[in-house]
Amino acid sequence: MNMNIGLSDILLVSPMLALFLASLVPITAKVLRGNREQNPIITLSQALIGVVIAVGLMIVFGGAGKTAFNNGLIFDGVTQWMGIIALFAASASMVMMYENPATTGKQFSELIFLAMSSAVGMLILVSAVDLLMVFIGLEMMSLSLYLMIAMSHEEKLSKEAALKYFILGSFASALFLYGVAFIFGTTGNTNILAFMDQASELVQTNRLFMFGMAFVILGFCFKVSIAPFHAWTPDVYQGSPTPHTAFMATAVKAVSFAAFLRVIATRSLVGSDHLFDMLQWLAVITMIVGNTAAILQNNFKRMIAYSSVAHSGYILVGVITAGVSDDAAFGAAGVIFYILSYALMTLGAFAIASMLEKSENHIVNIDDLAGFAKQRPMLALCMTIFLLSLAGIPPALGFFGKFYLFNAAIGEGLLWLAIWGMVNSVISVYYYLRPIVVMYMKDGNADIAEHSLNATTVMVVVTALAIIFMGFVSGPLFSAIENSLL
Amino acid sequence: MILSTIVFLPLVFALIIAVWPNARTIRPLALGFAVIEFILSLALLQQFDPSTSNLQMVERYMWIERFGISYFMGIDGISLWLILLTTFLTPITILASWTSISERVKGFHVCMFILQTAMLGTFLAMDAIFFYVFWELSLIPMYFMVGIWGGSRRIYATVKFFIYTMAGSVLMLVAMIYMMYLTQETTGQMSASLLDFYKLQIPFVGGTFFSLQTLLFFAFALAFAIKVPAFPVHTWLPDAHVEAPTPGSVILAGVMLKMGTYGFMRWVIPLFPEASEYWAWLFMLIGTVGIVYGALVAMVQPDVKKLVAYSSVSHMGYILLGLFAFNAYGMTGSLYQMLNHGISTGALFILIGMIYERTHSREISKYGGLAGVLPLFTIFFFIITLSSIAVPMTNGFVGEFFILMGTFQAQPVFAYFAVTGVVLGAVYMLWMFKRVFFGEQGELVKDEHHPLHDLNAREIAVMIPLVIMVFWMGLFPNNFLNYSKASIDHLVNNKNTYNLTINQPGATATATATAPTTPEQSTAAAAQGDK
Repeated sequence: MNMNIGLSDILLVSPMLALFLASLVPITAKVLRGNREQNPIITLSQALIGVVIAVGLMIVFGGAGKTAFNNGLIFDGVTQWMGIIALFAASASMVMMYENPATTGKQFSELIFLAMSSAVGMLILVSAVDLLMVFIGLEMMSLSLYLMIAMSHEEKLSKEAALKYFILGSFASALFLYGVAFIFGTTGNTNILAFMDQASELVQTNRLFMFGMAFVILGFCFKVSIAPFHAWTPDVYQGSPTPHTAFMATAVKAVSFAAFLRVIATRSLVGSDHLFDMLQWLAVITMIVGNTAAILQNNFKRMIAYSSVAHSGYILVGVITAGVSDDAAFGAAGVIFYILSYALMTLGAFAIASMLEKSENHIVNIDDLAGFAKQRPMLALCMTIFLLSLAGIPPALGFFGKFYLFNAAIGEGLLWLAIWGMVNSVISVYYYLRPIVVMYMKDGNADIAEHSLNATTVMVVVTALAIIFMGFVSGPLFSAIENSLL
Repeated sequence: MILSTIVFLPLVFALIIAVWPNARTIRPLALGFAVIEFILSLALLQQFDPSTSNLQMVERYMWIERFGISYFMGIDGISLWLILLTTFLTPITILASWTSISERVKGFHVCMFILQTAMLGTFLAMDAIFFYVFWELSLIPMYFMVGIWGGSRRIYATVKFFIYTMAGSVLMLVAMIYMMYLTQETTGQMSASLLDFYKLQIPFVGGTFFSLQTLLFFAFALAFAIKVPAFPVHTWLPDAHVEAPTPGSVILAGVMLKMGTYGFMRWVIPLFPEASEYWAWLFMLIGTVGIVYGALVAMVQPDVKKLVAYSSVSHMGYILLGLFAFNAYGMTGSLYQMLNHGISTGALFILIGMIYERTHSREISKYGGLAGVLPLFTIFFFIITLSSIAVPMTNGFVGEFFILMGTFQAQPVFAYFAVTGVVLGAVYMLWMFKRVFFGEQGELVKDEHHPLHDLNAREIAVMIPLVIMVFWMGLFPNNFLNYSKASIDHLVNNKNTYNLTINQPGATATATATAPTTPEQSTAAAAQGDK
C-alpha cells in the first residue's frame, strides 16, 4: 500500500499531537527533577493548556469531512463535537483528580500522563473511520484507563475494578476484532467508507457480513454498557476513584458512542431487520435494567453507575434512529446533544461525590447525606439541579436532551421506543429523588468531608449554571450541531 | 408585555428573597411582593376585552426554531379567572403561613414564588412544549414544600405526588411531539403552537381504542385526570394534602388541581372533539363515581384535613362532569366551580391550619364544643362550610347548580347520581361541623393548661377577603361570568371546529363573530343526550 503523509494529514491530526506532547510535559519534568513530583497545580495547568490548544486546533483545522491517512481518519461534525465534549469531560475529570484524596499525591504526573494518553486515544476514536483505527483508538484509550484505575492507593475495590475492567474490556475488544475479521473477510476491506454503500445490501445477502457487523456492534455494547453487557459497570464505577469514574462515565462513553455512530451510519440496520430488532430490544432492556437496578442501590456512585447504564439505553435509541433515518444528521444531532447534556450532569454529580469523600476509602452512601442541605446549601442545590436534570425535568438541560432524542425517534416512527424511554424516565425519577429527599427532608449530620475543594467547586457551579442556562438556548445549539453534520 | 411580567415577576421575587440578607423581614417582604403581583394582575381585568373569544394580549417569539416551538402566551376568558385566582390566593397563603412556617422561611417563600410562576405559566402558555415546561416545573417547588415543611409521612406523600404526576405527563409529552409531526405533515412546517394544533384534523374511528385521535386523547386525558385528580388515580391527593403544610394544601387544592381541569378545557376537548364526545360517558362516569365515592369516604374520615381532601375529590368530580356535558351550562358551571373550589377549599385548609396551630391535632373526635370557645373561628368556619356544601347565596351553589343543569340536559342518568353528591356533601360537612363545634367539649377544647385563643387580627385579615369572595361570587356571578361568556360560548358552539384567533390590537369588536352557531350541532348534542 502506498502511503503518503502530507501536510494536510499532519494538520488534521495536530490536536492529537498537541495532546500527546502536552501529556509528556509533566512526566518529563518529573524525570528531570530526579523523580520528584512538581507542584500538582503546575501539572494540571500543563495538561489543561494542552487540552485548550488541542481544542483550538480541532476547531481551526477540523470539520468539513476531510479525511486523513488514506481515509483512516475523518474529520467532520461528529469528530468535532464529540471530541470537544470528550476533552471537556476529560479536563473536568482531571480537575477532580487534582483534588480528590484518592488520586492526588505522589504519582499525579503519571496519572495526568495516562489521562492525557487516554484522551489521545479518544480523539483517534472519534475520528476513526477504519475499523482497525477504531480498534487502535479503543485500546489506547482503555489501556491507559486500566492503569489509571489500578494505580489507586486504595487496595481492595480499585484493584478488583481494574482487573474486572481489564478482563471484560479485553473480551469486548476481542469480540470487536472478531467481527472486524468477518467484515474484512467478506468485503476485503476494513474501511467503513469503502463498504458503506453496499453495507445495507450485504447485510441482507451475506450472513458472514451480518455476523461481523453484529459482533462489532456487540463490542461497542460492552464499551458503552448496554444491558446485558453492563455487568462490569457498577463494580468498576464503584471501585474506581471517583474522578476516574467520572472520566469513564462521560468522556469514554461519549467517544465510544461516536464510534458506534460511525458504524451505524453504514445503514446496515436498514438492511437487516435482525440487527434492527436486536438493537431495539437491547435499548429497551438497558433502560429497564439500569433504572430498576438503580432503585435498589444505597451507594451513591453505584446508583449513578446504574443510571448511566440507563442513559446508555436512551442514547442507543438515538443511535438506532440515526441509523435508520433518511435524515441521519437529525438523529445524530440528537445523540450528540444528549451526550453533551448527560456529560455535564454526570460530571457534576460525580464532582460532588468526589468532594464529599473524606479519604480514598470513604464510600458515600445516599443515607449519609442527611442534613447535607443545611450544612452545604450551595452544593445541595447544585446536586439537586444535576439530579433533576438527569431525571429529565424541565427546564433543565436534561429535559431538552430527552426531548430532541425522542423527538427524532418519534419522527422516525419509533414511537414505541420513545414511549419506553418516557416510561423509564418516570421510573428513574424515583431514585433521582432519593438523594434530594435525604438531603433536604431528613435531619441528621451528613457523614461527609468538611473541607471544600476550590477547583472542583468552581467546576460544579459552572456545570450547574450551564445546565440551567443551556436549556433556554438549546434550540440554536441543537441547530448548530445539526448543521455541522450536514 | 403584561403577561410576561405577570408570569416572570414572581421568579424575580424568588431571586430577591433568595439573596435577601435579613431573615426577619422576609415574611413582610414576600407578602408585599405577592400583593404587588395581585394588583398587577388586576390590571389584566382592566385591559381584558370580555366581548370577544379571541386570544388577547398575545406575546409570541420564536424559541426553538428547528421545531417551531415558540414563547407563546395569551389569555382568554377561560384562563383569565384562573390567573386571578392564583394571584389572589398567594398573598392570602403567605399571610396564613405567618406563624405556621417557622423553619427555613426563606426557602419556603422562594418555593412559593417559583410555584406561582409555574402555575401562571401553565395557564397562559399557548405552545405545547412551553406549556409542558411550566407544567413540570410546578412539581418541583410543591415537592419541596410538602417534603420539607410537611407532616410525619411527608416523604412518602411527596414522592408519590411527584411520581404520579410525572407518570401521567410523560405520555402527554410523547403525544405532543407526535402532534408536532402531524402539523408538519399537514402544513409542511413543524409547529408546537396550540393554535396550529387546533387546526389539525385528526382521524377518529369510533368503537376501537386504537384510533389515532383516541390514543392521543387518552395520552392527554391521563395527564390531566391524574392532576384533577379523577377517581381511580386520585390516591396521591389525600396523602399529599394530609402531609402538606397549610400553605401547600391551599395552593395544591386551590390552584394546582385546576391545572388538570383547565387542561381538559383548553387541550383535550377542543383538540380531540370526536374522541371526547365518544368517551364522554367514561369521564362523566369517572366524575360521578368521584363525586359519590369522595363524599362517602370523606364522611368516615377521623382526620378533618383528610375529610376536606376527599371532599376535593368529590368537588373535582363535579367539574369533570360539567366539562363533559359539552353545553354552556356545564362548561360555565365547571369554570365557576374551579374558582369556587379554589376559594372555599383553600379557606377550609387555612381554617384547619389555624386550629391545628393551636391544638396540634386534626382528629375530629378530640374536638367538640368549639363553638363556645372560639366564636369568631366558628363563624368563619360555618360560612365556608356553607359555601362548600353549595348553599344558595354562596359561590358553591352557582357552580354546582350550573353543572347539574348542564348534566341533566346532556346525560340525565349521570345527573341523578351526581345530585346525591349534593346531599352527601351536606351530610359529611355538617356532621363534621356538628362534631367539632357543638356538643360536649372534647379533650383538646377543655384542656385547662392550653386555653384556646380566638382568631387574632392577622387571621381575621386572612379570612375576610375569602368570605367576601364567597358572597360576591354567590350573589353576583355575572360580575365574573361576563368575562368568560364569549370564550365559553365559543368553545361550546364550535367544539368540533374549535379555533382561536389572535386578537389584533385595535381591531377588537370586529372579530367577535368568528363562527356562527350551528344549530345542527346543538341538536345533535341534545339528541345524544336523549338516548
